[in-house]
Amino acid sequence: MKLKQFYKLLLFIVLIPFLSSCFEVIEEIAMKNDGTGDVVLTINLSQSKTKVASVMLLDSVQGYKVPSKQKIQQELNEAVAYLRKSEGISNVKSTSDFNNYIATISFSFKDVSNINNITKNILAQQKIKATNTSSYNYNKATKTFSRKYQAIGTAKTEFNKLKAKDKAVFNGATYTSIYRFESLVTSSTNPASNVSKSKKAVMLKSSIMDLINGKINVSNSIQLSK
Amino acid sequence: MKKILIAIALFLSFNLAKAQDLVKKIPANAFTVATIKGDNVFKLMFVKDFNESFVGKKLLTETSKSLDKSFTSIEDFGINLEKNMYYFNQLSDSITYNCFLIPIKDAKKFENLIDSKEKKFTQQGDIRTMVLPDSTSIIKWNNNMLYFVTGSIKGSFFADSVKSARYGIKDIRFQSDDAIVADSAAVAVDSAYATTDEPMVEAVDAPVVEKVKVRKKSTAKKNTKKTVGTKKTGKKKTAKKSKKVARIDSDFEEAREFAVDTASAMTPVHGIVDEQYDTYQQERLEQDAKKKRLAFTWMIAQADQIFTGSYESIENNKSYTASLDNKAIAELWVSSLQDVYNSISPEFGAYGKAGLMKGYGSLNAKLFMDDKSFRISTGLELAQEQADAYKKIMNRKLNKNFLKYVNSEKALGFMSYSIDTKAYLEEFPKLMKQTYGSLLGGKMDEEIDLGTELFSLLLDEEAVSKVIKGDALFVINGLNTKDVTYTTYEYDDDYKQKEIVKTKKETLPDFLFMFSSEDHRLINKLIKYGVNKNYVSVENNIYKVLEKKSPIDIYFMIKDGIVFFGNSLTEMQGISNNQYNSNKLSKLHKQLLSKNNFSFLFNAKNLVGKVPDSEIGGEETAKKFNSTLEKMGNVYMKSNPIKGRLVSADISAEIPNGHENALKYLFSLIENAAK
Repeated sequence: MKLKQFYKLLLFIVLIPFLSSCFEVIEEIAMKNDGTGDVVLTINLSQSKTKVASVMLLDSVQGYKVPSKQKIQQELNEAVAYLRKSEGISNVKSTSDFNNYIATISFSFKDVSNINNITKNILAQQKIKATNTSSYNYNKATKTFSRKYQAIGTAKTEFNKLKAKDKAVFNGATYTSIYRFESLVTSSTNPASNVSKSKKAVMLKSSIMDLINGKINVSNSIQLSK
Repeated sequence: MKKILIAIALFLSFNLAKAQDLVKKIPANAFTVATIKGDNVFKLMFVKDFNESFVGKKLLTETSKSLDKSFTSIEDFGINLEKNMYYFNQLSDSITYNCFLIPIKDAKKFENLIDSKEKKFTQQGDIRTMVLPDSTSIIKWNNNMLYFVTGSIKGSFFADSVKSARYGIKDIRFQSDDAIVADSAAVAVDSAYATTDEPMVEAVDAPVVEKVKVRKKSTAKKNTKKTVGTKKTGKKKTAKKSKKVARIDSDFEEAREFAVDTASAMTPVHGIVDEQYDTYQQERLEQDAKKKRLAFTWMIAQADQIFTGSYESIENNKSYTASLDNKAIAELWVSSLQDVYNSISPEFGAYGKAGLMKGYGSLNAKLFMDDKSFRISTGLELAQEQADAYKKIMNRKLNKNFLKYVNSEKALGFMSYSIDTKAYLEEFPKLMKQTYGSLLGGKMDEEIDLGTELFSLLLDEEAVSKVIKGDALFVINGLNTKDVTYTTYEYDDDYKQKEIVKTKKETLPDFLFMFSSEDHRLINKLIKYGVNKNYVSVENNIYKVLEKKSPIDIYFMIKDGIVFFGNSLTEMQGISNNQYNSNKLSKLHKQLLSKNNFSFLFNAKNLVGKVPDSEIGGEETAKKFNSTLEKMGNVYMKSNPIKGRLVSADISAEIPNGHENALKYLFSLIENAAK
């Protein structure tokens, strides 16, 4: 008996039926009063690490090809290389932890609008259609930070085309955005957002399912004290 | 005396019933026969119940609506529901017939069903005939039976110009002037065809049996090259070649050359390509229409034959009669896999003669439904040689000691198999030779012989069979929850991220895999090697695989001639200390495991509520998941011992409690699904 094959089969029988997993996507932006700032993007699959580890041992799951560790690392490197070339972006770093399945990318920007097209372009590079249009803006004069977000209608229809089994992957996945400022926040228009006790940060947490379905909109306009 | 009388009466009535069965109308050379046994079906569900069921109501209202009539019972269709309905097909080298034989109870009712303004039928004696629009199928019936036939012409047959010419059909291809000369020859033959029906009748009377056909094929193949089907992109080379042939033909038919029909006469000899293409299209349509007419004539003759002719019935086919079972609800029989393969193989080209399916005979499948389960039983007839080989291979029972390690109260499922490794290794080369030897067309017989000899020489079958005896069992004895740590984040008053480690419960099935082994020397050496290289660690004779990437721990050990693999240390320790909780094997499980060479079982009920909601994806999904599982009974598969030359296997699915029988359960499932 080919032990490796047997092992793969075993994992398949044992683990795949429960392939709903939890993962976190976190976006952190720290704005300085002069309009520059830093971004940290984190994707954390640690809660599902048993499943991810199992899936990584398989060639494909539910009809999707499973990327190898090398392939994931390579794609992360490509994203970093792309960022380094982007206008107004500097100090690009990435980390990856294949024991806990956590990856981060961090960088600094000259102006928050520099990052507007980045996510979209990175996704496009990987041949993934963006599911939303999102743009950031910081007005130094009025000290307003705003994010405009519009879910693309087709995202929902595309998503609904997926098999129930595949959709289940997104059950329990969360998206968190944190905006941090040097000045105090006087107002934040998105009702789903929370202002920290220190009044210097705004957080919005939502399930990825709600984002895809358009139940939650992450647009926000944050007024800082002058 | 009374008993004897009753016996005779019973015998007579049985014979009478049999005599009326439409099976006698199925020709002995039918290729596939499928049966739905009305009496068995309506024993499980009365006609009244059917009419009132969701499916029945739907069927009746839909039919009523579409025919603008009002039906209240399926009996209104005039079909005799207590008798068997049949489907069969008949293959010849030129046409395939798909046929249905349906018993009629009340012909008037049936006529009422099909009666409409557009559809008219003709009557001759008590036989009524209706041709469906487009003349592709015929329905014929009398007061006892209904016959539906639809035929399709085989393209490969008419690619043979000699054969097709017999029926006035020519092979058309898109090319220039020379072809027209050739055409005229074919058309001339056409006129000859019009005067005589003989060839058709001949073809109908004796639908060519497969073996004959395969032989015929060799001539067909040579010709196909010259007259490439109806493809319009005839390559230049082929076109030239066929022109030559055509010319010879036309010389031969010189005398009739004037019999050119008007269509060809109108074609300009040096016309532009477009025009030629139009002509080609038109001619092709004409030829297609001719083929269709020919098929129709054949179909009519075939249908007449069924009603009035006398011929040998399938009842005389031993393979067919042996495949029958009184209790089945539906049956399927295919005369021989070898024949199936050969019948489609002309379309495969040169591989056709290879006979890949050599040694495999008829195939049958039966569906049973009773108060406990659904069961599908399948059987395959083998050639004697093959059957003997399999008998040797299957001559092993599962190690009885395996049974201790199945806990029926908790087991989610298992899979077992037992073969004789030694016999397998000895027979394997022979079986390979049989299958692939013919595929290579005998060209490599010597090499294959050499290979099989070498295989036997290199392997000491006896020695291998001591290391791996050939029986194995994989069982999942329930689920186990363990704590797993993961990383997440906490946010302080300033929403500053802090990495923290949390634990959560994860549910994983506990599996156990075991196989028998007499000679552990090789395995022990492997283990020793693993330990030395730090691939394996050991504690109290239980070995652990040290593989970082693996999401689960894997342990193994050897005990009492059995090699165990598993992911639960407690289970392994239990086995090691002889404390494994046995004696919890149910009767069904015991039978499945100990009596069959192969068995598989899935018991969904033991999974209900065992997986935490959070792991299935929320409470709602979990609820659905559990309720689906609850409705499922045991599902199992097993191989049966070889009987004569027949290998067979069964798949069964038990129905949950609270349902009268499997058919009614099936109806309730359909109703639920439609809601």
